Amino acid sequence: MATPKDLRSFLEAIEASGDLVTVTDEIDWDQELSGIGRLACERNGPAFMFTNVKDYAPDWRVTTNPIATWRRMAVALGLPADTPVRELYAVYAEREQNSIPPLLVNDAPCKEVVIPADKVDLFDLPVPMVHDGDGGRYLGTWDLVVSKDADTGWVNWGMYRFMVHNERYLTGYPRPTSHLGKMLLEGYVPSDKPMPIAIVIGADVPSHLAAAATFQLNGDEANLAGGLGERAVELVKCETSDLYVPANAEIVIEAEVLPNGIAQEGPYGEYPGYRSGEMGDALCARVTAITHRRDPIHTLDTTGFMDSSATTTSISGAIAIRRRLEKHGVPVVDVYVPPEGGVHLAIVSVSRGGAAVAKKVVEVLTARRALMSKIIVVDDDVDVFNIPQVLHAFATKCHPERGTHIHTYTGRANALTPAYSQQERAARLGASVAFDVTWPPEWPREVTPVRATLDQMYTKDVQDRVLARWKALGL
Amino acid sequence: MTKEYETFVRDRAHVVSGREVVLTLRDLTPGRKKYRGLNVRAVVSQPPRPGEPLLWLRSVVGVREKTPCSVRIVEDLPDVFEGRPYTDFFAAMARAERR
Repeated sequence: MATPKDLRSFLEAIEASGDLVTVTDEIDWDQELSGIGRLACERNGPAFMFTNVKDYAPDWRVTTNPIATWRRMAVALGLPADTPVRELYAVYAEREQNSIPPLLVNDAPCKEVVIPADKVDLFDLPVPMVHDGDGGRYLGTWDLVVSKDADTGWVNWGMYRFMVHNERYLTGYPRPTSHLGKMLLEGYVPSDKPMPIAIVIGADVPSHLAAAATFQLNGDEANLAGGLGERAVELVKCETSDLYVPANAEIVIEAEVLPNGIAQEGPYGEYPGYRSGEMGDALCARVTAITHRRDPIHTLDTTGFMDSSATTTSISGAIAIRRRLEKHGVPVVDVYVPPEGGVHLAIVSVSRGGAAVAKKVVEVLTARRALMSKIIVVDDDVDVFNIPQVLHAFATKCHPERGTHIHTYTGRANALTPAYSQQERAARLGASVAFDVTWPPEWPREVTPVRATLDQMYTKDVQDRVLARWKALGL
Repeated sequence: MTKEYETFVRDRAHVVSGREVVLTLRDLTPGRKKYRGLNVRAVVSQPPRPGEPLLWLRSVVGVREKTPCSVRIVEDLPDVFEGRPYTDFFAAMARAERR
């Protein structure tokens, strides 16, 4: 099965696998549509396609939560829907190493309709109100935002939230520590230059995966998208800037971030699963053009517990963590970022544990950006993908005093972490903790506790007989 | 039908002080433009004054107060406030208020 080449072929594929429900009855864009998407996330339910959105013509459709389940993630990677998570991780890790450069094209589906600046009205797009009490209607929930470094020309793709302020203006919250935030603050604001961006909605899924990926500074996400999708991404030039965007996208919002103008942004119910009051310090962009397909599909990720970013970051975040730990000499075996943890929890298995290793893990993972606030470090006889096993080990092996290693920091904490106070959020003041769930390496083997499980407290002979009997009983 | 707005506040006492304040309002008129943002200089009253549009106050985490205020718009302001990206929006409104 090939990786779907664009959003439409992906939607056909998940319809075929039974993971897409189409709703033709009228649906209200004001919370009702997103409420259905939210419930689907909370119940591990399907994606939806809404073809009849109140107040909008039927040529506009809205789809929700494209890859909020492992089944849909598997289909997006061209694999059977029931592919195990461990295998999805392995496929992603392998493809991430095979970057494929993009192809530049002149004609593109995303240019079928071109709306110049003086005709732009963001309310012509069926942008849902995602949650009651959000600061406004969020256009960018599952997007791909293109920006370029003013000095080096490095192009970044990121996934950042953007809200409709009025007909021409958007406000957004790429964190100041994000690649886009860094480009803006270092390359454009000091010289009072507006920064061109392009907000891409409804490109091929690998392009969005690449944008959301935890990827290195100066990395090329277009190459990564090609690798993940196993085909070159076609790019086309924007109408009002020299940025390039995926040609197969459904909608492209071209804009410029103001170097000296702001407007209200947020609050917003975010990926950790809460609306935490992070409003008050964002950026503002003026739209310079909108291009879209003739019958465009808007994509909504009903942000919150178990949204599409949860699965996406689960994979790319875990692989990035693993590579980072390896680079720093940690004897890492496996890493899992459970999507249920709202990108705040990582489970790391190591071949040799102990306090020094646990401390090193938390220090390495919070050195630049501190997104993970809890890291469980386990011995490698624990399967990191097996949450009951991890919980059992955590509950029993982590010493309440010696096994807790807290690392505090200022200026790089995650402002979206619900546990932080408003003051901590403002100062980016935070902490991460490593829970050492490994046996101290200095404990002699003869006094180290033995796990009372079939694989560890029974002889090999008995294990084999039990497993044979189990099978014979049809269990 | 009485027009309704909402606004997000960090310092509630300042907003309902009875003096002219600078606010971003979200227009709650049903239809395609619901939640459109507008920056204004306005006077907020609680309890609501008859004949004035209703204004619902929400906290910085979006929690809405049980009863509304009313708002009298004194002046429409430009689409954006002066301020560098990532500077505090509430502080930018306070600066606009002093002008």
